[in-house]
Amino acid sequence: MSKITTSDFQKGIFIEFRGEPHQIVEFQFVNPGKGSAFVRTKLKGIKSDKVIEFTYKSGETVEEVPVNVKEMQFLYKTDNNLVFMDNINYEQINMPIKLIGNFSKFIKEGEIYQVFIHNGEALGLRIPKKVKLVVNEAEEGVRGNTVTGAKKTVILETGVSVSVPLFIKKGDIIAVDPETGEYQERISQ
Amino acid sequence: MYKFKKNPDLWQRFFLREQIIRTIRNFFYKEKFHEVETPILLPALIPESYLDVFETFLKDRHGNKKRMFLATSPEASIKKLIAAGLGNCFEITKSFRNGETGSIAHNPEFTILEWYRIKASYKDIMSDCENLILFLYKNLKSQISAFQINKLNHKSLSSVLKMTDFEIVYQKQKINLAPPWEKLSVVDALKKYADIDFDDITEKKKSDLFPAEKLAKVAERKGYNVNKNNSWEEIFNQIFLNEIEPHLGTHGKPTFIYDYPKPMAGLAKIKENEPRLAERFELYIAGLELGDCYNELTDYNEQKARFQNEFILIKKKKKTKVIADNNFLQALKTGLPPCSGIALGVDRLVMLFTDSYSIKDVLLFPLD
Repeated sequence: MSKITTSDFQKGIFIEFRGEPHQIVEFQFVNPGKGSAFVRTKLKGIKSDKVIEFTYKSGETVEEVPVNVKEMQFLYKTDNNLVFMDNINYEQINMPIKLIGNFSKFIKEGEIYQVFIHNGEALGLRIPKKVKLVVNEAEEGVRGNTVTGAKKTVILETGVSVSVPLFIKKGDIIAVDPETGEYQERISQ
Repeated sequence: MYKFKKNPDLWQRFFLREQIIRTIRNFFYKEKFHEVETPILLPALIPESYLDVFETFLKDRHGNKKRMFLATSPEASIKKLIAAGLGNCFEITKSFRNGETGSIAHNPEFTILEWYRIKASYKDIMSDCENLILFLYKNLKSQISAFQINKLNHKSLSSVLKMTDFEIVYQKQKINLAPPWEKLSVVDALKKYADIDFDDITEKKKSDLFPAEKLAKVAERKGYNVNKNNSWEEIFNQIFLNEIEPHLGTHGKPTFIYDYPKPMAGLAKIKENEPRLAERFELYIAGLELGDCYNELTDYNEQKARFQNEFILIKKKKKTKVIADNNFLQALKTGLPPCSGIALGVDRLVMLFTDSYSIKDVLLFPLD
């Protein structure tokens, strides 16, 4: 562990907060009326999986939790865990599903992810801004329906349902924002 | 500017911004206030240790340089006008605070509204705030709700349509603007939300009414990290920001939080019979800090002492040492009538009425 100050804060790094490693999800500067500068953070608890807000004094020191980022292949899901493999030495590691929250609906077998590791334990993974997934089930769009913004629901290869424009068909590859679950674009037909 | 070509709907919030500013002016014309224009480029400032200033140079015909500053607020200039006998007045202008980047509520250049009432107290300014914001709401109601319906279109149209009179939605929080608004003193808020007794973190009689060590003990018990260099103000504000501010203006009504500890007095008058508190309030709506009001300090000697204290803090915090506005002190010496005034962030007001998350969303040319 090493000490850092609020000026070293970056999104995605891990710090110790009240005895538990937390990831900085968001931070911004605040100045109360007639007061010093402060840094307001959103911290995600690794074990509790809860996001809390905490405001630090500008310049306050905190412990950074050293975390290795390792490229690993996602193999499969068990009841509570995700199993990843290091493709260089074939070592496997379990990660509790709850650590990745909503992303568990979008994680794809065989894909490479950047996994956060601390003391041999998986703390989470870098959640991509967009995921590209194949549409497995889709009803035909209703012909002649040209109302802008008309949507239908399709099921993607990971089993998650997503609301998409009517022109999306079975077999298309689409991009989705895993954080909001919103459709972004069609990648290929 | 490309974003406007791509999405012409974005103009809507700037059209509403236009109307908000026009309607603010109409409100004060109706109240028979003078509108003033004060300088943005100034040779001297009120020393404020918590602000970073913009510094520049004026060059005369001979190439001689003179240090100048951009105004951090129009307060000093307006008070000079009031001391000279102007009467009730307001100004909408640009002010500048350096270093205020990386925040959803700050832009180094921002639009500020200030107004002052003579022979009035901060309670009168609270009424002004209620009246002004209701006036804006009533005059712009169709635009405000049209905007919100437009924005919420696909999500919660039904919840907007259910909105009763005087209700607005800011970042999913419903706020009823009908007066009276919540009025909460800092001392009561400390007890209510942080379970701290003001007497346990201050001294009543000693020379130092605000010993940092005393507050540090309470803060450490709560789990805060405190070191010897932290001032009473820093520790207090950290508790305030973490435990009190999330409750301000977020329980369905706007909140006036009033009577601040003296280290956060700014230019406010100290309460009679209570040397620890200054007559200052802040207005919060839906968690947005919108305005800062004082019963104005009119005592020349007290103001002079605060200037000196601020210069000590400026040195300690390694901020730019400004040139003190001695004309402002002189104005107090010749006599500032009892008055109360407020600074209100116009950009934040626009954020509120357009349900915008960041100040950048309501500025045509935001920095960064």
